[in-house]
Amino acid sequence: METTDLNLFVRTSEETLSDWSRDRIVHALQKETLIDEETAKDISIEVEQTIRKSGVKMVTAPLIRELVNAKLIEKGLETARKMHTRLGMPIYDVDSLILHPNKENANVPHGPEATNLTLAERIKKEYALLSVFSQDVADAHMNGDIHLHDLGFIDRPYCSGQSLEYIKRFGLNLPHSLSMAKPAKHPEVLLAHLIKFAAALQSNFAGAIGWDAINIFFAPYLEGMSDNDVKQLAQMLIFEFSQQAVARGGQAIFSDINLYWEVPKHFENTPAIGPGGTYTGRTYGEYEKEAQRFVWKLFEVYKEGDGAGRPFFFPKPIVHITEKFFRTEGWQDFLYHICDVASDKGNTYFVFDRGETAKISECCRLSFKLEERDLKDAKEPWRMRYCALQNVSLNLPRIAYMAKGDDTRLFDLLTDRFVLAVKAHKEKRSFLEKLLALGEDGPLSLLTMKQDDMPYLRFDLASHLIGMVGLNEMVQIHTGEELHSSTQALKFGLKIISHMNLLTEKIKRNEKIKVVLEQTPAESTSYRFARLDLRYFSPLSGRVVKGDIASGEIYYTNSTHLNVHAPMNPIERVTNEGKFHPLIEAGSISHIWLGEAQPTKEAIADFVIKTFRNTRNDQIAFSPEFTTCNRCHRTSRGLMDTCPYCHSKDVDGITRITGYFTKVSSWNKGKLGELKDRYRNEEYFGHMSYAINE
Amino acid sequence: MNVVKIFYKDDCPMCPMAKRLKDSLLKQKVMVSEYNVETAEGLAEATFHGVMALPTIIIEDDNENELSGWRGTVPRVEEVINAVRGS
Repeated sequence: METTDLNLFVRTSEETLSDWSRDRIVHALQKETLIDEETAKDISIEVEQTIRKSGVKMVTAPLIRELVNAKLIEKGLETARKMHTRLGMPIYDVDSLILHPNKENANVPHGPEATNLTLAERIKKEYALLSVFSQDVADAHMNGDIHLHDLGFIDRPYCSGQSLEYIKRFGLNLPHSLSMAKPAKHPEVLLAHLIKFAAALQSNFAGAIGWDAINIFFAPYLEGMSDNDVKQLAQMLIFEFSQQAVARGGQAIFSDINLYWEVPKHFENTPAIGPGGTYTGRTYGEYEKEAQRFVWKLFEVYKEGDGAGRPFFFPKPIVHITEKFFRTEGWQDFLYHICDVASDKGNTYFVFDRGETAKISECCRLSFKLEERDLKDAKEPWRMRYCALQNVSLNLPRIAYMAKGDDTRLFDLLTDRFVLAVKAHKEKRSFLEKLLALGEDGPLSLLTMKQDDMPYLRFDLASHLIGMVGLNEMVQIHTGEELHSSTQALKFGLKIISHMNLLTEKIKRNEKIKVVLEQTPAESTSYRFARLDLRYFSPLSGRVVKGDIASGEIYYTNSTHLNVHAPMNPIERVTNEGKFHPLIEAGSISHIWLGEAQPTKEAIADFVIKTFRNTRNDQIAFSPEFTTCNRCHRTSRGLMDTCPYCHSKDVDGITRITGYFTKVSSWNKGKLGELKDRYRNEEYFGHMSYAINE
Repeated sequence: MNVVKIFYKDDCPMCPMAKRLKDSLLKQKVMVSEYNVETAEGLAEATFHGVMALPTIIIEDDNENELSGWRGTVPRVEEVINAVRGS
């Protein structure tokens, strides 16, 4: 071994102190890069000379690595430098992370577990940008042309839709687990399996875990239970999901539950699985009453809220409104019931499955339309497992700045960005394929388990999401008008999204990869894009970004939404925003910001029916605002600085950030700017009286 | 002035009939705009009008209010002319 006479200690990454050895540099360079031994030796000598000149007695391994990297750059060995690079963070950033909350994702609490999560995310993000994606894709992300979502979770798919039937049929038998459980015989046990499985899945997906038709699949277990017991089960389900702060990084599981008043057509004749994983000899259509009893009780619990009367943040209840809904006995009472919850607590999401479409909702707004193959699978619902591998969003205002009013250039740039996003998808897909190929010994063993005749993750059905941020500002820059300002502006916005829609079709046809558009939730992306554009495209961007530049609370309007600040009647908003929804296959939503208003359940029900019948809108949610007191633990309506009950200043504001409720104190600056701007529909619902009739 | 908007795509079975309708209407000096839903312009206009079946023929006034419409079918020329001229 080659040694030198340099009297120097090195702090290694194995937490030891070693004597200086130039040979270690040579060894590392040869192991990690493609350079020859001679060059490696030269570099090691040069690095040694640099250290010797400095006179230091102790160096760290990362410092030596960076010195070696500097020499590689000097010699023009850029490829070797990249291969030899070190991932990590400055001590200042780590200090800040440990001390202060993460504002990028309001669902991440502040604590040691969360810090671990964030630190790991930072390293994986760097790894992804260096190792998974090609340089043009990584650069486009870094400069804000596109946004690659959840880079910190590069080694897992994005989000997923699940079926309770899988655990009903196969029990809880996870790879490498310490014990296996046979199919549940009792409802409480089934619930325990569901929560455990959801937590396990959360560790294998970056985003939301959605559960389909949960009240219907629970129904065979509920027979013979008293109403009180069913309510107790509903309460357990909601509390278990909402308090399960032991998932990834101390988060609650980001969970959605899909609910039906009727048994949807595709499950009507499906043989029902009951206790012990055996068929009951009846179909789900025959369990309608039990399913209705459960969904009713779930909403009773949502209405009560948590121990302090706050709305539950998770699981998000998504009610599917279908044609059959209106033909199912008791629909009016149920609609009033869920509208009462929507008005009081805001929880209810209304998803509209018009005509023959059936959907599964998974994320803030992500939903999948069931295709013919899925409807066949509905006879064996445990097969209905879906996922999106990744989400890539396009910075639309950026394209408009660059096009400088030229239509052809605008659409050419849009196509270029889209193609780049597809390239990013292919790269992530190929990386995940590599991980999945490792099977049971790989990092994604849960997703490769085969309890039926296929791997748990149905890779062949996976979607690849392309989202958009700031359509409103793009149209504003290009035409001089915002989407809500004129029919021409709205139509131009539709032309942009139509162009993107046609590109997805072309990619599907030519490349056999399922690329679909989604409205980006953009919890932090709309802020990030606005900040970057303010840096690169001033002064024009200064006139376009929304929010307050002086305080830094700036943002672009989310996805295809209309300006949140524009005063307009909510029917007009839902109608015009809904015009974009048929073009966005993987799901959309319109928000109705209620502020302090508390409309009657009749007014909300009337609005829901009108939206279903008269618009093309896919999904709506009503968002009230609350103030919860950390001293007296009471919750009041509206966002206030002090508690109206005990006058404490120790209060938290609560409302929807994008697609879910959270505490305002955890929001990033961009979303705080948006919150200030939101036009609240406090007068629209007024004191009118409504009668709902179909 | 009222205008007829025709929505079509290249490979739909009834769309050639809609194309022939357009030619007949033009001969009668009726204002016609046609939209191929396989282009961004056409798809945007179709989405704006909630077109779900092809071909679709709608008649609009100056303020883009829909006066009549045929969705998934092709009407006779006279029907369209009567609707355009308000008789």
